[in-house]
Amino acid sequence: MSTLTKYSDIPYTGPAPTNREPYVPADAEKMNARGAEIASRISGVTQETGQDLPTFVVDKERIVDVLRALKHDLKFTLPLDCFGVDYPRREQRFDIVYQLYSIENNERVRLKVRVGEGESVPSSLPVYQGLNWFEREVFDMFGVKFDGHPNLRRILTHENFQGHPLRKDYDPAQRWLLTEEGVAKIIPQIDPRFAQEEAESDFERVTLNLGPSHPATHGTLRIVVTLDGETIVGADTEIGYLHRCFEKMSETHTYQQVIPFTDRLNYCSAIINNVGYCMTVEKMLGIQSPARADYVRLILSELMRIGDHLICIGTNLVDMGALTNFWYLFQPREEMYGLIEACCGARLLPSYLRIGGLAVDVPPNFLQMTQKLVDSIPRFLDDVDKLVRTNRIFRDRVEGIGPISAEDALDFGFTGPCLRACGIPYDVRKANPYLGYETYDFDVPIADGGDTYARYLVRMEEMRQSLRIIQQAIDRGLPTGPVIVDNPYVALPPKSKVYNEMESLIYHFKLIMHGIQPPVGETYFQVEGGNGELGFYIVSDGTKNPYRVRVRPPCFAIYQAFTKMITGQTIPDAIAALGSLNIIAGELDH
Amino acid sequence: MPITRVAPGVVKVVPDKMTLSQRTYLPQVIGGMLVTIRHLVKNLFNMKKLPIISYPEVKRVYSERFRGRHILTSREDGTTRCVACYMCSTACPAECITIEAGEDQRTREKFPVRYDIDLLRCVFCGYCVDACPEDAIYMTRDYEMAIDTRARAVVGLRDLVVPPNFPVEPMGWRPYYGAMDKNGTAGGTGRGQELRSAPYADDAPPNPDVYRGA
Repeated sequence: MSTLTKYSDIPYTGPAPTNREPYVPADAEKMNARGAEIASRISGVTQETGQDLPTFVVDKERIVDVLRALKHDLKFTLPLDCFGVDYPRREQRFDIVYQLYSIENNERVRLKVRVGEGESVPSSLPVYQGLNWFEREVFDMFGVKFDGHPNLRRILTHENFQGHPLRKDYDPAQRWLLTEEGVAKIIPQIDPRFAQEEAESDFERVTLNLGPSHPATHGTLRIVVTLDGETIVGADTEIGYLHRCFEKMSETHTYQQVIPFTDRLNYCSAIINNVGYCMTVEKMLGIQSPARADYVRLILSELMRIGDHLICIGTNLVDMGALTNFWYLFQPREEMYGLIEACCGARLLPSYLRIGGLAVDVPPNFLQMTQKLVDSIPRFLDDVDKLVRTNRIFRDRVEGIGPISAEDALDFGFTGPCLRACGIPYDVRKANPYLGYETYDFDVPIADGGDTYARYLVRMEEMRQSLRIIQQAIDRGLPTGPVIVDNPYVALPPKSKVYNEMESLIYHFKLIMHGIQPPVGETYFQVEGGNGELGFYIVSDGTKNPYRVRVRPPCFAIYQAFTKMITGQTIPDAIAALGSLNIIAGELDH
Repeated sequence: MPITRVAPGVVKVVPDKMTLSQRTYLPQVIGGMLVTIRHLVKNLFNMKKLPIISYPEVKRVYSERFRGRHILTSREDGTTRCVACYMCSTACPAECITIEAGEDQRTREKFPVRYDIDLLRCVFCGYCVDACPEDAIYMTRDYEMAIDTRARAVVGLRDLVVPPNFPVEPMGWRPYYGAMDKNGTAGGTGRGQELRSAPYADDAPPNPDVYRGA
C-alpha cells in the first residue's frame, strides 16, 4: 500500500466559516494606502477601501478624464478589462468595472462606474481603443449603452437575441433562434465603411467571407474582408459562434462545479484555466494549497503552456503548407496528454484541480514520466527549427506579416507571447509570481517587430524556457505531504474517513449539498495563460453559488486588433497572421 | 538562434542573418529533406515503435483513472449499492443524472427505481464518483459510446448495474480512499483507487479488450 496520502492525519481545528462575513484581502491595508496616494493625484474619484486592488468609484461623466489621467500621469498603459456586474436591488443597478495595469510600476487599479437602468456611459475608446470589444460585451450582456462607441452592437449573442443575459432577472431557460432575417440584419451593420470605399474606388471590390467554417480559422471565427484584387482594403470580424454562457452558467452552479466549465475556455491549456480559477477562489477563502499540489500545478501548467504553443505553431505552419512540422509537433503533445490522463483520467478536459489542491495524488511514476517527456520534446523543437526557422520560403512568408507596433499592442490590451513579440517583457509569472515561480530560474523571451515571425520565435523560446522550469522542478523532487487542504469546509474528506466516521460523512454531505461558501466580497487574480494574462474576477454574496464570475480572456483583447493587422495585406497573409495569434474560440467566446 | 540578454530575466530572440546558402535556397531544401529523410529511415527500421495506434484493431492503453462510462455496483446479495441519496445528481455540473427513489418494504431501505444518465449531457468530470457516499458509482475505461439516436444515449439501471464482485481490473475513475486505516480496510467495497503507476511503459502491450459493458 502506498504511503502517499491525500489528506493529512491532523484534524482541522480552525473555525467554521460563518456565512456572510465580509472578505478581507490579505493586502487590504497596503492597497488602501496606495489607493489614497492615487486618489490624491487624480481628481473626481472616491476611494473604496478594503479591496484587493486600489479601487475607486467614479462618476460616469468623469470616467473618460479619469482614465486619461491614469493612462498619461500614472502610466496605466495596459487596459485589462471592462465588464459589468448587476445588483438589481440597488437604484443604480449596474457596476461597470474597468481594470487597468501599469507595466512600469507593476500595479493594478480598478474603477467602478455606477449606472442605472437606461443610462449610458461615455465610451472610453478615445483613451483605450482596446476596450472596444469589452464595451460591446457589456452592452450585449447588460444593455448598458456607451455614448460615442462607433460600432455598438451585440458581440457574443446574435441579432435575434432578446434581453441581456447577464442581468440577474434574465431567465436562462429561454431559447432564441437566429433566423434568416436576423442574419440579414447583421450584414449591412458589419462594416459601413465597405460600401463607401467601394464608391471611391475605380475597381470593383469583392467582399469575401472567411469562415465561420473554414479550415484555416481553427474554430468558428468569421472574417469579412473587402478585397481590391488580392489586397485586403477593409475587414471586420464576427465572433460569438462558440458562446457557451460560461459566466451565466457559473452563477447557477457551485464554486466546485465551475471547474469543468473553466476547462473549456482555452481547451488547449485547460490546466492553466483550472489553476487560475481555483487560485482566485482560494485567495477569497484565504487558504493556501499544499506544497505538493502547488508543485504539480506548476509542472502541469508549464506542460500545458508547451502544448498550447505546439498547437499554435503546428497549425500555423500547416496553414502555410508545412505539414511535416505539424506531425513533429503533435507527437510530443500526444505524449503530454498521456501524462495528464495518467494523473486524472481525461486528456483534453482534465478537471484535475479542486479548490484547495488536486483531485487525487499524482501516480507514483509521475516524475519519471515527466522527465521522459522533457527529454523528448527538445528533439522535436529542434527538427522544426531546422526545417523552418532559416527556411527562406517561410521567412519570406512571415516576416513583416501581421505587424503591430508596441504602442498599439499595449493600447489594444495585448498580453502574453503576442505582446512579448513586440518587445515588451510583460509576463505574469515574473511580475506577480504565483505557485512559487519566483524561485525558478527562467527568462522571458522578447523579440522585435511584432510580426508573425517574431511571434514564432518568442513561442519557440518560451517552450524551451518552460522546459527549463520543469527540469528545475524535477530536480527538486516531489514535495511530500497532502495534495489538498485539510479543511472540511473546502475539500471533501477522503473516502476512508467518510465510510468510517460520522463526522466526515456529515462534512461530505454538507460540502456536496451546500458547497463552498466564501466570505462576501470581490477579488481578482491573474495567471499567465497560454495566450497572456488570464484573470478571474469573482463576486461572492456568501452563498454556495458565485454571484458573478468574470473571466478575462486574453485572446478576446488580441483578436480585436486583427482587422488592423491585416488591412493592406493579402488573404494568405491574413491566414498566416491569424494562426500566429493563437485565437482559441472557446476562450474568445467564453 | 542568437539570444541576447537584455535585462535580468529577459532575453531577446534576434532573427538570424540569412547566409548566402540560405538565401540561394537550394542547400536549405536539401538540409530540410535530410531531416525528413532521417525520420523516414528511422521509422522504416523501427516500425514497432511508430507513434501510431491502428484503432480499432489496437486500442490505447488508458490509466486506471480513466473517466469513461459509468457503472453502478452491487452488494454481495445482488441488490444495487445505490441508496438514491441524490448526492451525485447534486454534484453533477452538467445535470445529467435523474434519480427516482423507492423504498424496500422489507428492509425499509431506499433504493433507486429509476437512475438515468444522459451520456450526451455528461461531461465525464467524475464528480458523481467523488460525491457518492456508498461506493455505488464507478467509472470504467469504456469510451466507445457511439449511438444512433438521442434516446439511446440515456442509459438507465438496466445498462448501468453490474453483478456483485464485478472485476476491478477494467475500471477507471473510482473513489479515492486516501490513507487506509490500521486494519487495512477502508470501508465501502475496499476496491477503490490505489496509487499505481500509470501503464505508459514503452513495452506495454496494447490492451485488446476494453470493458464493453455488462
